[in-house]
Amino acid sequence: MSLLVTASGDTPQKRALPRWVRALAVLVLLLVAALTALCVGRFQIAPQKAIAILLSRVSPLTADWSAMDERIILLVRAPRVLLAALCGAGLAVSGAALQGVFRNPLVAPQILGVSPGAAFGGALAISLGFSGFALIGAAFAFGAVALALVGVLARVEGRSDTVMLVLTGVVIGALFAALVSLLQFLADPNSSLPAIVFWLMGSFSAATWARLGIAAPGVLAGAAMLWLMRFRINVLSLGEEEARALGLSVERDRWLVFAAVALIEGAAVAVAGVVGWVGLVVPHAARLLVGSDQRALLPVSAALGASYLLLVDSLARSATAAEIPLGVITALIGAPVFAALLRQTRRKELAG
Amino acid sequence: MSCVGIVGGAALIVASCAPLRAQADCFGDLAGREVCLPGPAQRVVTIPMPSASTFIAVDGSAQRLVGMHPSSKRAIDEGLLGRMFPQARAIDASVAGVGADGFMPNVETLALLDPDVVVQWGDRGDDIVGPLRNAGIRTALLRYGTESLARGNLTLMADIAGKPERAKELIDWRAATIIDIEKTARDIPEARRLRVVYLQRAASGLAAAGANSYYDFYIRLVGGRNAADGLAGAPAINAEQIAQWDPDVILLNGFEEKLTPARIYDDEILSATRAARERRVYKMPIGGYRWDPPSQESPLTWMWLADLLYPEAFHYDLRAEIAHAYRLLYGHTPSQADLDEVLRVQINGDARFYDRFAASASK
Amino acid sequence: MIGLEKAGAQRGRRWIFTDISFMLEAGRILAVLGPNGRGKTTLIKALAGLVPLSAGRRIAPSVIGYVSQSIGADIPYRALDVVVMGRARGLGLFGAPGAADYRAALEALELVGARDFAERPFDRLSGGERQIVLLARALATGSPALVLDEPASALDLANQNRLLTVLSEVKRQGRHAILFSTHLPQHALSVSDDALLMLGPSEHSIGPTRAILNEINLTRLYGLPVRRVTLEDEGRAPIEIVVPLFAGATP
Repeated sequence: MSLLVTASGDTPQKRALPRWVRALAVLVLLLVAALTALCVGRFQIAPQKAIAILLSRVSPLTADWSAMDERIILLVRAPRVLLAALCGAGLAVSGAALQGVFRNPLVAPQILGVSPGAAFGGALAISLGFSGFALIGAAFAFGAVALALVGVLARVEGRSDTVMLVLTGVVIGALFAALVSLLQFLADPNSSLPAIVFWLMGSFSAATWARLGIAAPGVLAGAAMLWLMRFRINVLSLGEEEARALGLSVERDRWLVFAAVALIEGAAVAVAGVVGWVGLVVPHAARLLVGSDQRALLPVSAALGASYLLLVDSLARSATAAEIPLGVITALIGAPVFAALLRQTRRKELAG
Repeated sequence: MSCVGIVGGAALIVASCAPLRAQADCFGDLAGREVCLPGPAQRVVTIPMPSASTFIAVDGSAQRLVGMHPSSKRAIDEGLLGRMFPQARAIDASVAGVGADGFMPNVETLALLDPDVVVQWGDRGDDIVGPLRNAGIRTALLRYGTESLARGNLTLMADIAGKPERAKELIDWRAATIIDIEKTARDIPEARRLRVVYLQRAASGLAAAGANSYYDFYIRLVGGRNAADGLAGAPAINAEQIAQWDPDVILLNGFEEKLTPARIYDDEILSATRAARERRVYKMPIGGYRWDPPSQESPLTWMWLADLLYPEAFHYDLRAEIAHAYRLLYGHTPSQADLDEVLRVQINGDARFYDRFAASASK
Repeated sequence: MIGLEKAGAQRGRRWIFTDISFMLEAGRILAVLGPNGRGKTTLIKALAGLVPLSAGRRIAPSVIGYVSQSIGADIPYRALDVVVMGRARGLGLFGAPGAADYRAALEALELVGARDFAERPFDRLSGGERQIVLLARALATGSPALVLDEPASALDLANQNRLLTVLSEVKRQGRHAILFSTHLPQHALSVSDDALLMLGPSEHSIGPTRAILNEINLTRLYGLPVRRVTLEDEGRAPIEIVVPLFAGATP
């Protein structure tokens, strides 16, 4: 069978670097970011000392550092670095997966109402005087409640289409945002109000191994689920009808993705408050590097998201004596970067 | 008969009111405006949290206070003030909300109380004053945060109460205490000036008071140094930063009810600070009002901190000082149990040098 | 293989079509013809299982090789990755395609003569090329039934010819039942064995293409005079053509 190929003139784009080189570069970036995050901080510890303390965990080294040095590295920075990396990776893969499922690059994990729900849960816990695990539990629970509400309300005649889902997500998000405002209105201005305000802005300052232990299962389980569904998400990204025609039960698959995202988002908000923009911006950058295929996009998004939050958090905790709210920095960086990425993506489209 | 009685009564009222109206009182508030009252205010509402207790202290009674902020009310209900002035517990506290925007007055509730004057914040924007002005309610504005403003507030309350001599009495006490403390603090050598951190928030997250705060003022007054004086305001910080400061003394705010020194001692990082190792972590006392921010009781705060920082240099008999001050401020003599409660002996008891505040140590 | 039995579909209370019955076996092609708005797409989607039937029933294998009319110009994957998605159903919820699946996808591309597109981004292909790749994806599903919704609508003449050639090649191999809708009776004449004319919501004609695509039926179907003539061309076998008598074009 010899058919003439009607070439439309465009040759496969010559990319500057092969994909694996870029993937490797992202990995190196992650490593550098993690080491940087471990070595900087308000408490002055020389980088080589910091690394030696870390190495002393696995191989015997003579300690030339103080007990405080060791505590700072192992009890403050190590869990904080891991938590920031974990949340950054989780938020980024959530964004990448959702953008795939919704076929819309403007979708972020907030869209399903999970973040506002979790934010309400956390604020409620703070205003009732709880902290620690009760706070995490409440944030997680209300994130799930918000998602369930979206699921129930968006379902009309047994089906929920994309527009209905997004709009319902906005409605539920607004509802929980209003409830958060109500809590702030009722909060004690001496104690819980500033705590709520700071927590809502997002921070890893309360990171401990215990908190890491709480957040990790949720984030890892959610991320693992998304990774397992990577090809499904690709198919879902063709659109509902195409996916159904290919024999997928679109409704069920979509909700599985949402559940995974809720798990990640709930766990992240619970331990770090609301950290916006990561799930929106990072997948864009990752797509520019490796394209839209979830099989490459998910791991690269994870590494980029982790690196990004690591660097942002390092800035947040060491730029000044005061802890700068994370959400403020992610928004200040995220908004212009996102605008630039949008323009570049658009330009690429027009050029193609 | 009855007719004559009414006329007579009316005449009496007119007669008794006439001199009052003639001596219409005018004074400046802390926003630099002139406030004129037809006479000593009989119905006062306070919206800033510390003002209710200040007004009660200045007036020596809770009778003229008809409305206050719900947070003020809670401090009164929970603290000693409610026991010293039981009628204060019945005062209306629905004039404003509690949380964000909590100083926005509910004008209609206020109008029902028919106050002669409403005390409102003068440094938090006009939005919370405008509605009062609009409703034709007389306002007196105060500002907050420094010792001189604290004295200004005392004066303002005394002017409202029509008892200017009370302000002088209370301000004299402050001035004398400052002179007395400075006399000793001056001789503390630079090398022995302890580094102190005041944690304005610690129960959930951490926040330390920076330079130019009132806390900074009294830490320096008693001869200490504010380890967080590189900060402005009271921003959130992390444990690592406190480790870097490694303060000699940590002061825990009195606002967060559940906050105790255990928060520091149980923290893996904070427990390694010098303050924790030497058990010099103290929770701020609460008397007629919380001791942390400026109030009518501030001189007691200073003496308390001076005694704790430099026990060899300062020798205030705090229990006696409190008893004396409460007679002056509230006309009330506190019991030993009251004093323990004010000093939070239960919470602070096993902290270093706190034994000097024990009942047995007092003469 | 694939077919309908007394099938009807509604939109709201309006019947789009009623009482359609046919059964298509492997190695045969059925063309669906009808003017705009007569329900061709609804019929195709009903066959693909994307639109529920309000009456009757559908007989079909579990997966259909379906090619939709709206071809996504915004699908950011390699053509090969698009084709391999045809394997999705067999891979399970957590599966990803392996070497065997890629082999099948390449074979499908080979079959439609689009092996060269494999590495190219799908959204950079021309409309005709995409249509061919989607046909490969339909083949890659492994389904014995191919359902195509106006597969030639966006194509130029050369690409139309190419698509028709691919369809008849697939038919020749005898493993697939193929059903496609079209606006062009000529397409039906050139490749299909049978034709279904959608004359009205409850009026259909189905039968061998050559017999049923007569001038009377076509004129009724499209509401303008249509002629069917045999064109003798030197050096080639004569072919039958359908000519709509549009206004104008007088010499």
